[in-house]
Amino acid sequence: MIKRVLIVIAIACFCTNCVVVKEYEKVNINDPDMALAEKKCDRNLTTAHSYREAAVGANGGKTGGGCGCN
Amino acid sequence: MQTEEKLVEAAAVTKITYQLKKIILFLCVFTLAKAYSQTNQDSTKVYKKRVLETTEVDFLTSYYSQDGDNAAVSGGLGTEELTDFTGTFVVSIPLNDDDVLTIDAGVSAYSSASSSNIDPFDSDKPADPFVASSGASASDLWANLTGIYSHSSDDRNDIWSAKLSISSEYDYFSVGVGGSYTKLFNEKNTEISVNGNIYIDTWNAIYPIELRPFGEGGNGLNNPLFTQNTITGNTNYNPRFKEFDSEGRNSYALGFGFSQILHKNVQGSLALDFVQQDGLLSTPFQRVYFGDVADSFIDNFQLADAVERLPDSRFKVAAGGRLNWYLNDIVTIRTFYRYYFDDWGITSHTASVEIPIKIIDKFTLYPSYRYYTQTAADHFRPYEEALSTDQFYTSDYDLSEYSANQFGFGISYTDIFAKAHIWKLGLKRIDLKFYKYDRDTTFSSSIITAGFKFVMD
Repeated sequence: MIKRVLIVIAIACFCTNCVVVKEYEKVNINDPDMALAEKKCDRNLTTAHSYREAAVGANGGKTGGGCGCN
Repeated sequence: MQTEEKLVEAAAVTKITYQLKKIILFLCVFTLAKAYSQTNQDSTKVYKKRVLETTEVDFLTSYYSQDGDNAAVSGGLGTEELTDFTGTFVVSIPLNDDDVLTIDAGVSAYSSASSSNIDPFDSDKPADPFVASSGASASDLWANLTGIYSHSSDDRNDIWSAKLSISSEYDYFSVGVGGSYTKLFNEKNTEISVNGNIYIDTWNAIYPIELRPFGEGGNGLNNPLFTQNTITGNTNYNPRFKEFDSEGRNSYALGFGFSQILHKNVQGSLALDFVQQDGLLSTPFQRVYFGDVADSFIDNFQLADAVERLPDSRFKVAAGGRLNWYLNDIVTIRTFYRYYFDDWGITSHTASVEIPIKIIDKFTLYPSYRYYTQTAADHFRPYEEALSTDQFYTSDYDLSEYSANQFGFGISYTDIFAKAHIWKLGLKRIDLKFYKYDRDTTFSSSIITAGFKFVMD
């Protein structure tokens, strides 16, 4: 198990080094549709999911509290 | 002979394991050394751009509606009809080159047939779990105010933020504080973050109308509800009811994030969230009907045997990842996956894909699909299947086993020059989306969302 975790960490760390995209190459990465987060206009949808579904979190939305939902 | 072969085999395995460990160690040392050297390179101050050039204003609104036959308010059997209208302003103000203040203020007004049946006996029509009542609990207003202050370092590789929020509705009040730290390195190709949030919430518990006379100081069956209406079925109505001792609910969340540019057209992220909740985690107005207790009715409405009882602690873990691919100048693929589990026995998988398609310069289409599945909570019991001897029970079908499909479609308009104006605000973007959500039960919902982004001249 520990070995597996070490391998995952090593791979993740290796990923940080195998590619370096320069600022001038980030035109596509900086496209608004490439953002690694939910869009603002989808926020109320995420809130509805947090009311109706058990699972929350790991999506940039609320993880509980602040409303009578889960 | 066999023993000798085994010894040779064992020696070979040990050697491979040793070599593997050496490789892993080498990779880690190499990686850290390289990341550190690049961090130092990043810290060279060349040009300091404002974090936010000008004030931005977002107006977000949505209309949500749902229906189903498993209302938790009526013990798992009854209408779940609900509509909700939400309006939110998010204003981001640059305080200087490095600091941004974001004010987020919103209201949400809902009208619910199911929660109207907290008191199903307040209209002229016969009480029925599938018919909305007209009582005070048929609608409510939720209001929220959040302030976020963020500071970025000169090289923009360190970002700190602090958050304070307040929200209120008739039977619920919440105060939240939080903060986050984000570190960018590897020429801003890699990002790690940690965030924490604490919510201190308080219920103003509202119980089903027929249970209130059996609470502390109540007059039981002498209450006018029972003297002015006729109980049918089990006429010796005697519910198991006691008000909750404590009405507080605290939530503590800790989250970790990692994101990486994998290619000039591909980037991904991983997120890990831990949440601990303590206090009143039951919803006080959700009825439960016991299978081993004779049923009592007024009109067509079955009188509650109890309200749901759930443990006063819950620990949740969610691990998710995103992978976005800029396929070409027309198509982008956005994917998301999340695995979730908690100590109430629920495990869940969420997967979604959205494919933005730029049809012309200013317009983009957003078709999307999302799949969700969850197992039931340990204490979930369908309608009439809980027993009066159980310690915990709920008939909230949101905690049942189900899967759901969601299809969405949206369109956006973007004008990077923000030519259209309202006062000093230039309209930069409009988003309009529609989503249809269907469970493999009777529940379904739909939502229309709209977002308007303005930038100050």
